Formats: sequence, structure tokens, C-alpha cells
Amino acid sequence: MAVEDRLLRALAVLRWVVLVNAVGLNLWRHDNFVHPWAGIVVVLVLVAWTAYATWAYRDAARRTTWLLAADLAIAVGAILVSPVVKGEQLRATIPGFWVMGALLAWAVHYRWRGGLFAGACLAAADLAIRDQITQSNYGNVFLLLVGGPIVGYMCETLQLMGVERDRAERAAAAAEERTRLARAVHDGVLQVLALMQRRGAEAGGDLAELGRMAGEQESALRSLIRQQDSVPAEAGEEGEVDLAAELERLEAARPPVVSVATPGTPVLLPAVVVREVVAVVSACLDNVARHVGLEAPAWVLLEQISDEVVVTVRDEGLGIPEGRLDAAAAEGRLGVRDSILGRVAELGGRAELVTGGDGTEWELTFPLDPARPAAGAR
Amino acid sequence: MDTATEGEPIRVMVVDDHPMWRDAVERDLQDAGFVVVGVAATGTEALARFPAARPQVVVLDLQIPPPSGVEVTREVLTQDPSARVLILSASGEQADVLDAVKAGATGYLVKSASREELIRAVRRVAQGDTVFTPGLAGLVLGEFRRLSDGPAHPDPDAPELTERETEVLKMVAKGLSYKQIADRLVLSHRTVQNHVQNTLRKLQMHNRVQLTRYAIEHGLDADEDDDG
Repeated sequence: MAVEDRLLRALAVLRWVVLVNAVGLNLWRHDNFVHPWAGIVVVLVLVAWTAYATWAYRDAARRTTWLLAADLAIAVGAILVSPVVKGEQLRATIPGFWVMGALLAWAVHYRWRGGLFAGACLAAADLAIRDQITQSNYGNVFLLLVGGPIVGYMCETLQLMGVERDRAERAAAAAEERTRLARAVHDGVLQVLALMQRRGAEAGGDLAELGRMAGEQESALRSLIRQQDSVPAEAGEEGEVDLAAELERLEAARPPVVSVATPGTPVLLPAVVVREVVAVVSACLDNVARHVGLEAPAWVLLEQISDEVVVTVRDEGLGIPEGRLDAAAAEGRLGVRDSILGRVAELGGRAELVTGGDGTEWELTFPLDPARPAAGAR
Repeated sequence: MDTATEGEPIRVMVVDDHPMWRDAVERDLQDAGFVVVGVAATGTEALARFPAARPQVVVLDLQIPPPSGVEVTREVLTQDPSARVLILSASGEQADVLDAVKAGATGYLVKSASREELIRAVRRVAQGDTVFTPGLAGLVLGEFRRLSDGPAHPDPDAPELTERETEVLKMVAKGLSYKQIADRLVLSHRTVQNHVQNTLRKLQMHNRVQLTRYAIEHGLDADEDDDG
């Protein structure tokens, strides 16, 4: 109701302005009055009503139908008594523009219908006292009938906008609070899980197993939080997914023990491409788990270098012996060929394998724009 | 190498709002022969206690009641440039970690690190080394790439990494130890460390220049010809 309160407060000021105007005009034209005393009484009623209306409209509880009806009745009445007090040949009514107080109050309170109704009442009263209708009479009536509904409609619109803005503000505040709470809760949980992992490892035995599980949960939760942070911040185009967040998911999935390094900002690629890249990286990691060990450490590095995305997967195993991939292919086992090299080629990328006694490193390069294959793609 | 056994023990301050963690870290550090000269649970407490405690190393959680870990890092290093800040963070929110490094932190460890890793990290940071996780190296690499080929607003003063520095940082991000990097590149351990330190220094310098420029542009440098 803030909109209505504000508008009615402004209207209270306007009421006094039009009152001063009406009183001044009546004083100036005091010789027009057939019954000067009656004229004084009418003007005093206008002053008294203005004072009362200023007070009454201030509180929403006092804005009853009776108040508005009385407001309009006094305005209509003041118009209707004008010919009696001023004589039949009057040119201006006693209240004059003062009647707009009632008109606008109706418009503000009852919207465009109220404005139209009050405008019609005042117009009818104004026309009823005229012998002949001059162009300026017609102009006033027209303004009454048009102004009331327009102000009512604007008030309604303002109110709707206010309600919408309030709702949006509340939603934003709630979302912010949720994020803040989630962060506090997550942080607390992470702290406890990390401590359990640490103490468990030191205690050994069953506790070590518990600690290991706490550690798994800790890294799972951490990567979830990171994804949550990065997704709404920079929502990509339709169908684009953040490769960094998807790769970080692998940190939580064991074995092997994976550490994922990303550039810290989303790397957006079409969902299909992201799915394939993650599949390739998973295949590399499966190889690590199979050939190096379930508890073996592995590292994944994601880089975005101008228009290319480079993913490196490294382990510290004994390396892949020379010719083994070819031998495997010759035996009909197409595992690595298919799952890694095939997929990379389909994405228009290239794969480089560095392997030796101190480990194996796959460097997979993909074009950021899949329509343009990476340089040297096979 | 081992300063703790060589003379004065290393003075450490622990800032963490979780009492459980604060106590655990404090105990671990004391057991390892460090002197914990102060603890604090909030940024305000940390800044109030820092001048009297004069720690060589501040072990700092980023998620603390304000001022934030990043602000504490900046303020502490302004007061005492010889102090070192080691970030020990649970959530590892990437933007915060990067900001802390830009503010001058020279070490970063996630809380899931073991006690041995923590103690080694404090010792190394106290000696002036940088302690990087692969994750942090990836972030720093990403930041330099954003600075150099961000198409949105190319910055003529953006720092650039030398080819060697990029190579070293990339290896750290791929999980190689300094020793493994030294072996691969046929460099000394010290040289590898210097390369890593240089990358951080460039980032910190750039950050300081940007902050100063921002201050001047927004009239925050408050000198006498300020007519406001």
C-alpha cells in the first residue's frame, strides 16, 4: 500500500493548493455573491473539509467508503449550491478546481473505475447547474472524465510495479541469504570432514578407513561448491556446459586419486563436446587405475589457450612400453585407440602421448569452436 | 634447510574461526617446534593482535568473519612486508584463493592436507619459498592467460610470463614436484623455485599497480590539491 500512501500524501498538499486558489478566487469575486453569508459558510465548509480530509486520509484504516463518499458528496454539493448562492448567472462554481481533491482521491483509492465514477458525478453536477454549455464548461467536463480514469490507471500500474519490485527484492534477498547460509554450512562441514580425515589417518585402524571416507566426501562436496559458484555466475549460451566444473567432478570419483587444476573461470563448450572430453579423460584415468594402481595419484590440468582447450592427464606409473598400443591394436583390443584417440579425432582435436619411466602424460587439444579443427588435427 | 632446528624457532600466528581447527593446527605446530605467538578467530582480532605478536608466518583461513582473509593478507603485509602468509582453506573457492595470492600470500594449502604437509609448508613459507598446489598453479596460469589475451579489455601493462615460467608453472599444475621439474628441465631446485616465485611477484605487482590506479582514478589518493 506504499504507493497509495505516497500518492494520498501528495494529494493532501494538492488539496491545500486548490483550496487557497478557491478561497482567493471567491474573495476576489466576492461582489458576485447573491447571498454573501451563505458564500462564506460554503467556503468555510471547504476549509474545514480540507483540514479533516488531510487528517483522515493519512491513515489507511480511516480510508473507508464513507470517507470517500462524503468527500465526493461535499464536492458535488458545493457545485450544486453554487447557483443558489451566487445567482443563476454564475460563471464559476464556488469550489472551482477544489473538486479535484475528491476526484483524485477516488482515482487513487478505487483505480480507474473510481476515477471514472467520481469524474462522471462531478461532470453531471457541473452540467446540471448550467443554463448553457460553453466551450470552457465542456473542456472542464472532458478533463474530469478523462483525468479520473487516467490517474486511476496510473496508480494501479504503479502499485503493480511496486508489488513486483517488492517480490523481486524479497526473492533476491532470500537467494542471497540461502547462498550465505549454504556457504557457512558447507564450510563447517568441510572443516569437520577434513579434520576427520586428518585425525583418522593418524589414528590408524578402523578410524583410518573412516577418515578416508570423510576425505572422499570432503572432496566431493568441495567440487560441488565450486560448480555451484561457477554456474550461475556466467551462464553460457544455450546448450553450453562448463568443462572446468565437469572435470572437477572427477576429483570426487575414485580411484585413482585425482587432482584437477582449472583456470578458475568457466570454460564453456557445447554439452556434447564436454561429454566427450570428460569421457576421454575418464578413459585415461581408468588406464591409470588399471595399470598403475587404485591408490595411484593422477593429475588433470585444464587450460584455455586462445581458441584451444588443452587437457593434460598425468600419472607417475612406469609408463606405457613402446609398441604396446600397437600390439594391443593388432591383437584386436582397441581400448585406448577407440576410447581416447578415436574420440579425440572425432572432436577435431589431437592427442599427444609422452610416456617414460617417470610416468605417462596425455596432452589432448581441442578447438574451442568445434567447427574449426585444431591445427594439425588428424 | 631446517630453520626450526638451526636457531630461533619460527613464530607463527593462526587465524581460523573454527576453534576445533585452530586448536588442532596450533597443537600440530607446537609439537613440531614452532612458537605460536598468537591466535585469532576473526579478521578484526587478527589485525589487532598482529602488531604485538610479530609472527613470521600467518596461517590464515580465508573464510573468517570480516575483514576477510584477503583483506587481512593485504593489511598484514603492508604492516610488515617481511611476514609471510600461508592460506589454509577448507572450501578453496577459487576467486578468493586467487585474490589472496594477488594480495601477497605466498602459500596455499587445502585443509585436507596432512599434518606433515602443513608443517613442511609453514617451514618453506617461512624461508621465503612459495607453496603451490597444482590447483593454485592452474588458477595462476589461467589468470595470466586472461590478462594477456582477454579480448574484452586488453591491458597494455598486463604482466606476461616468460616461456620458462609458463613451462614451470604448467608442470606444477600437472602435479610435478620442484625436484621433478628441476630434473626434467635440467635446472637447479633453487632456479625452479625462483621461477615460481617470480610468477607470483608479477601477479602481486600488477595487482598493486591496479589498486593504485583505481585509487587515483577515483580520487582516493587524498593529497593536498584535493578540493573535495
